[in-house]
Amino acid sequence: MSETDADIEELRASFRAVLEDAAGDIRRHVDAGAARCEPLCAKAAELGWFSLMTPEAFGGLGLGRAAAAALYEELGRVIAPLPMMGAMIATEIIAAHGDAAQKAAWLPRLAAGEGAALSASGVAPNWDDSRFAAGALTGHARELLDSDAAALLVVAAREGDAARWVLAAADGVTVETEELVDRTRGLATARFDNVQGAALTADPDIVASDVLTHASLAIACDSVGGAKAVLDLTVAYLKTREQFGKPIGSFQALKHRCAEHKVAIEAADALVQEAVAHWARNDPGVALLTPLAKALACDVYAAMATDAVQLHGGIGFTWEHVCHLYLKRAKLNQALFGGSAAHRDLAARLLLAA
Amino acid sequence: MAPADKSRRFSPMAHRDDLDAFRAEVRAWLQAIVPEGWFARSAGAPEGEYLAFQRWWFDELQKVGLATPHWPKDWGGEELTLRHQVIVSEEMVRAGAPNPDLFVISLYHLPATLFAHGSPAQRERYLKGVTERGEIWCQGFSEPNAGSDLASLRTRAERRDDIFVVNGQKVWSSFAAHADYCLLLARTDVNAPKKQAGISYFILDMKAPGVTVRRIKQMTGQSEFCEIFLDNVEIPAENLIGAENAGWMIAQSTLSAERGLIIFDLAERMHDAFQREIAAARVARPAWWEDDELRRAFVAHYGDLQALRLMIQRMLRELEANAETGASSLPPLIKVQWSELLRRHTDFWLKAGGLEAQKYSPPLTGGGHVTGNRLQDFMWSYSWTIAGGANEIIKTLIAERVLGLPR
Ligand SMILES: Cc1cc2nc3c(=O)[nH]c(=O)nc-3n(C[C@H](O)[C@H](O)[C@H](O)COP(=O)(O)OP(=O)(O)OC[C@H]3O[C@@H](n4cnc5c(N)ncnc54)[C@H](O)[C@@H]3O)c2cc1C
Repeated sequence: MSETDADIEELRASFRAVLEDAAGDIRRHVDAGAARCEPLCAKAAELGWFSLMTPEAFGGLGLGRAAAAALYEELGRVIAPLPMMGAMIATEIIAAHGDAAQKAAWLPRLAAGEGAALSASGVAPNWDDSRFAAGALTGHARELLDSDAAALLVVAAREGDAARWVLAAADGVTVETEELVDRTRGLATARFDNVQGAALTADPDIVASDVLTHASLAIACDSVGGAKAVLDLTVAYLKTREQFGKPIGSFQALKHRCAEHKVAIEAADALVQEAVAHWARNDPGVALLTPLAKALACDVYAAMATDAVQLHGGIGFTWEHVCHLYLKRAKLNQALFGGSAAHRDLAARLLLAA
Repeated sequence: MAPADKSRRFSPMAHRDDLDAFRAEVRAWLQAIVPEGWFARSAGAPEGEYLAFQRWWFDELQKVGLATPHWPKDWGGEELTLRHQVIVSEEMVRAGAPNPDLFVISLYHLPATLFAHGSPAQRERYLKGVTERGEIWCQGFSEPNAGSDLASLRTRAERRDDIFVVNGQKVWSSFAAHADYCLLLARTDVNAPKKQAGISYFILDMKAPGVTVRRIKQMTGQSEFCEIFLDNVEIPAENLIGAENAGWMIAQSTLSAERGLIIFDLAERMHDAFQREIAAARVARPAWWEDDELRRAFVAHYGDLQALRLMIQRMLRELEANAETGASSLPPLIKVQWSELLRRHTDFWLKAGGLEAQKYSPPLTGGGHVTGNRLQDFMWSYSWTIAGGANEIIKTLIAERVLGLPR
C-alpha cells in the first residue's frame, strides 16, 4: 500500500501501453454490441489487473488505491469496456469487511477476473428492493453495473428492519440486462427467488460509504482520463482540418472553447488527484473531497465531450468517429451512482456537519 | 486563547527550521499586531488613513521578515520554502490580517522583472528601496490605444547621449497617484520590423519633471487607477532594464507575476470566507441554503475553489523544482480559473443576498476580494478578468502556447 509516485507512473505507463494496443478490440466491441470485450478482458485478467487490490495472501498484487485510480484513469482514456469497477469494489469491501469464509470464497475468483455486479442507482443503496431471511434473498436488485458474466452479486437488502450487504453467487439467478446507449458499460436487473447468500457482518453504512467512495472516485478518474483524451483528439483535429484556407484551430471562437476546457480539465484533475491521495492514505478528508470531485469531473467531462462533437462538425456526428463514444460514456458517468446535484447535496450536508 | 503579549519581540524567522514553531510564532505575532476591528474602521475611510494604514502594515511585515518572504536572501528576502509560505498565508488569513495591496507591484511585478533582467546596480537600488524604504511602484504598460494589443504602444523614448526623453500617455495605472516609481514600457525604435521589437523597458521616477498623474474614478467609486502623462520626461540611461528594444520579452516576466503567485493569497482568503459562511450556516441556516439551485451553486464554487488551490500548489511545486521563469504552464490557467470563479461566486452572493446586497455600504480596500460588501466584491471581480491581460487574450494564449493551436 505504499507505492511511490514513481511506481504509480510506471504502472500507468504499462496500463496505457496495453490499452492503446486494444483500441481496435474496443472499437469492434462497440460496433458489434457484444456483451464483453473478450480479448481485452482476457488480457486484463492475464496481466493481473483484476487482482490489483486483492491482498497478496489471496493471490493478488496487493497494490493500493492510488494504483487503482491510475488504472481507472487509463481505462477512461480509451473508454475501455472492462468490468473493472464492480470487481474492484467487491474485492475491496470483501477484503475489508468480509469474514474468513467470504474472503476465501470470493477473493481468488474475483482476482482471476470473474467479475462482480452491484447497483449503481444513486448515492444511497436501495435497501428495500430485496429481503434477506434465513440466508436467502428474495426481491430484486436494479441497475446492476458490470453484471455481464459476473460471478458475484453484491446486493443491498433488508433483514427485518436492518440493512444488510449480501454476497450471492450469480449462478442460477435471473439477470436481465438492459442495453445502454453507451455500449462500453451495461446495467441489469437481478430477480431473487430464495437465492442463497451470505451477509457481511460489518456496519452496512460503513460498507455503503466505502462503496460510494470507491465508485465515485473510479468514475471521477475515468472522467478525467476521458476528458483529457477527447480534448487531445479535438485539438489534433483542429490543427489539421482546414476551412477558409486555414486550419480551423486558428479561429478564435474555437480556440477559446478549447482553452476553457483545458482550464476546467486541469482543475478537475487537481481535485480528483487530491481526493485520490486522501483515499489512498485513508484520510477522513476523502469524505468531502469525493462528492466534490465526482460532480466536477463528470460535469467537466460531459461539457468537453459535448463540445467535441460540435467542434468536429459532420464527422463528429457519425457512428464511425470516436467522439460519440466519449460523449455517451461521459453522460453515463454523470448519471452513475447519483448525479452531480445529488453529490453536491451530499457535500453540502458534510460541510454543515463537519 | 491566552491574551497576546504585545510587548515581546517576535521573530518567526528564528524558528524557520521548525515548521510548527514557525507557525506558532507567526500566529503569536499576528495576534499581537493585527488591530482589532481594522476591517470595519477601514471601510470608507479617507484616503490618508488608508495610505497610513497600508504603510504601517508594510513596515510591521517588514520588521518580522514577512513583507518579502518569497524573495531571495540576496535581495533582502527570506527565501522561504513553499511550505513556509503556505503557513504564512494560512495564518494571515486566519488572523484576518490586512493585505498590503498598495505594494502589490513592488512585491511581485518589480522582483519578477529585476530578478531575471535587472542589472546588479538596479537590483541593489530598487529592491532595497522596497525592503528598506517601502517604496511604492506602479506599472505603466497600457495606453489609450494599446490595451490588449499592448505591443502597439506609442509612448516614445528617444535616446540623447545618456538619457532617454519620453513623451506619451499611460492609462489604467493602479496606485500611480501614490507611486514612487513606475515600470514603464516605451517605444525606442519606430522602424523595427515587428512592433514588439522596438519596445524598451524603463524605471521611471514618478517625481521626475514632466510626469503628471490624473486619477480616474472607477465604477466602484474609488480612484485607484490613474492616467500618467509624460511630457519630455528625462530618464537616465542606467534606468533602462535589459537591452534597448528588448522590453517586450521582459514585460512577459512582469505579466506572468500576475498570473500565479498573487492569486495564491487571494484564493486562501476566499477559502477563509467560505469557512466563515459555512460556520455561520451551521449556527443558523441562511434562506439560500434551502434553495436547491443556490446551495448547489455554493457547493460547486467550493469545489472549484479547492481545485484552484490545488492548481496553485501544483504550480508552486513546479516553480520550486525549476526556478527558471516560465517553467510552469499553469499560471495562465490559474488566472482564468480564479477570475471566472471570482465572477461566478461574487455573483452568487448577489443572488443569495437579494435586495440587501444592493444597498450601498462604503467599500473596503485591503480586505481581499470577498469582503462581504457584495456589490463591491462583484464589481472588483472585473479587475481580475480585465487587468493583466483580459481573459479573452489569456485564452488565446492558452490555446496557442499550451495546446499548440495555430495562430
Ligand atoms: C482594475 C484594473 C487595473 C489595471 N491596472 C493596470 C496597471 O496597473 N497598469 C497597466 O498598465 N494597466 C492596467 N490595467 C489595464 C489592463 O491591462 C487593460 O485594461 C487590459 O489589458 C485590456 O485593455 P483595454 O482596456 O484597452 O481593452 P481592449 O483591449 O480594448 O479590450 C476590450 C475587449 O476586447 C477584447 N479583445 C481585445 N482584443 C482581442 C482579441 N485579439 N481577441 C479577442 N478579444 C479581444 C478584450 O478581451 C476585451 O474584452 C488595469 C485594468 C483594470 C481594469
